[in-house]
Amino acid sequence: MLVISVPVYYFVVDAIWKTELDEHNKIIADKSTFALNQLKLSDAQLMSSVALWNSIQPGTNIEPVHAGTKVKDSIYTIEKSSTYSSKPAIDRFRCLSTIVTINDLPFRFTVETNIEESGETIAVIAIVTLFFFVLIVVGLLFLSRRLSNTVWQPFRNTLNTLKTFNLHRQSALSFDSGNTKEFEELNQSLNKLIEHTSIAYKTQKEFTENASHELQTPLAILKNKLDVFLQSDDLTEKQYLLAEEMNNALNRSSRINKNLLLLAKIENNQFDNTEAIAFDALLLQSIDILKEHFESKNITIELNIKKDVVLNGNHSLTEVLINNLLLNSIRHTAVNGIVIITLNQQIFSIANSGIKALEERLLFKRFSKHSTYNGGSGLGLAIVNEICKFQQWKITYNFENGAHYFKIYFS
Amino acid sequence: MKILIIEDEQQLASSMAAYLAGEQYLCEFAATYAEAIEKIETFQYDCILLDIMLPDGNGLKILEELKQENKQDGVIIISAKNELEDKIKGLQIGADDYLTKPFHLPELSARIYSIIRRKQFSNANIVIQDDLQIDLMAKAVSVNNVSVVLTKKEYDLLIYFMGNKNRVISKSTLAEHLSGDFADMLDNHDFVYAHVKNLKKKLYDAGCEHYLKTVYGTGYKWTE
Repeated sequence: MLVISVPVYYFVVDAIWKTELDEHNKIIADKSTFALNQLKLSDAQLMSSVALWNSIQPGTNIEPVHAGTKVKDSIYTIEKSSTYSSKPAIDRFRCLSTIVTINDLPFRFTVETNIEESGETIAVIAIVTLFFFVLIVVGLLFLSRRLSNTVWQPFRNTLNTLKTFNLHRQSALSFDSGNTKEFEELNQSLNKLIEHTSIAYKTQKEFTENASHELQTPLAILKNKLDVFLQSDDLTEKQYLLAEEMNNALNRSSRINKNLLLLAKIENNQFDNTEAIAFDALLLQSIDILKEHFESKNITIELNIKKDVVLNGNHSLTEVLINNLLLNSIRHTAVNGIVIITLNQQIFSIANSGIKALEERLLFKRFSKHSTYNGGSGLGLAIVNEICKFQQWKITYNFENGAHYFKIYFS
Repeated sequence: MKILIIEDEQQLASSMAAYLAGEQYLCEFAATYAEAIEKIETFQYDCILLDIMLPDGNGLKILEELKQENKQDGVIIISAKNELEDKIKGLQIGADDYLTKPFHLPELSARIYSIIRRKQFSNANIVIQDDLQIDLMAKAVSVNNVSVVLTKKEYDLLIYFMGNKNRVISKSTLAEHLSGDFADMLDNHDFVYAHVKNLKKKLYDAGCEHYLKTVYGTGYKWTE
């Protein structure tokens, strides 16, 4: 638009100028003719006056009209270099050539008036236009910056508040809505959305916990009925073995149930994580309890345990974590394998000999099976992961030099 | 011996009674808080099995009531909640033991046995079966006055069998007793077999022969 406006401006300015100058030229011609007629000069005097006029009056020229020449008026524009200046400048002139009658003699009266060159006009207009263009752009930028800073402030506040939201922690959010109606609506909608999500999440979590609780009783009944059943006098060995298999399956479902309950409780933050834990003592105690199971598979245990490793967290959860990892290593190490346990103030790591790497992505997921062994609850490592998250520890898995490494970084 | 089962779940209460009946225990039932309060005020029991989640009140209140009246009944809390706080609170008020549902009946029986023995024979708590003698206070075992050295696990097993005489106890139940929560996370329960075998051998070597029997291939039974 601005580019188009430059020639438009030029034509408009040029046209106005030309019209004005034409008028001006016409006035000069009429005025001069009128003045010369008033003088009532004789023809000879007139001729000398005209000669004098022509020599001293710049921009005008009076010439007697010879018979046979064109007598039409003409308006035109010429460009010529100035004769009086040494500078090679070209000026543009607007001219009027008209026939006037002085002392009843026809004369051609020519008026030349300097008019701005088109190039200069265009240049000036272009410069002015550019200047305003730049001014508008800069002004707009400045304005929009200021606008976005003030008008969008409530939006930014809302966004920042949203970023801190964690469904897991169920922290309550309060939005600063400012005075803008739209943002107020946005915040109200967000509040509603968050409320619904929180309720749905809470219901789901409560469901897990309630379902597990409710399952305890029927599981207990089944277990106890089986115990009573085993005491029947006329039990055959076949029936006994069937009952024992049922017993095993029942134990497994109780365990899954118990573990789901534990997971739900960790997620519901029902544990205190500010207790001081003597990690090394807990670890040694668990290793001692499980020693016979390491021995039964002839697994060599290498211990690199530093003394007095005290950490913050939850005592019983940490015990669960240690036991799950130890049991995991017992279960998945082949007979005659090696388990290396390392502990210091920064790291707790359990490495057990293995054949090929496991997929880390699936490892800590609930109910994802990795081995052909299917007696586990499928929740052991998921619980370990959840406990680490709860105590703000970081757990990693990697496979190197023919061993699975589970490493927990404290802090 | 009289036992009061305070449990609102009919099926559980009847299984407990059925299992315990074989041990010469006489079981009575209370399904509600009100019923329980009425029974403990009128009668004396050797052991009370107390479910703390009752439809009309908290079982812990019953425990408080008992302690206020200075009753000497042994109390085992039975709860569906495996909360450390509940456990601590219950034991602080004066419960003798705490069991989390679901549990095996032999486990319950063994615990009742220990509590009753402790309450009744506080000073000279010695179990005698023929030539076998167990000093529950000193945790010492002897056969024909010759001391038998048992590991902690073996001793534990022996007491467990004492509390479940003439009962068939499966390997998985014993595994759960011996290693608690670990048991069902382990590949196999052969370690039970190893401990039982050692116990059997030690008793046999000391001259005490046929009490502990293997039944149905993988179950065990202590006979009198």
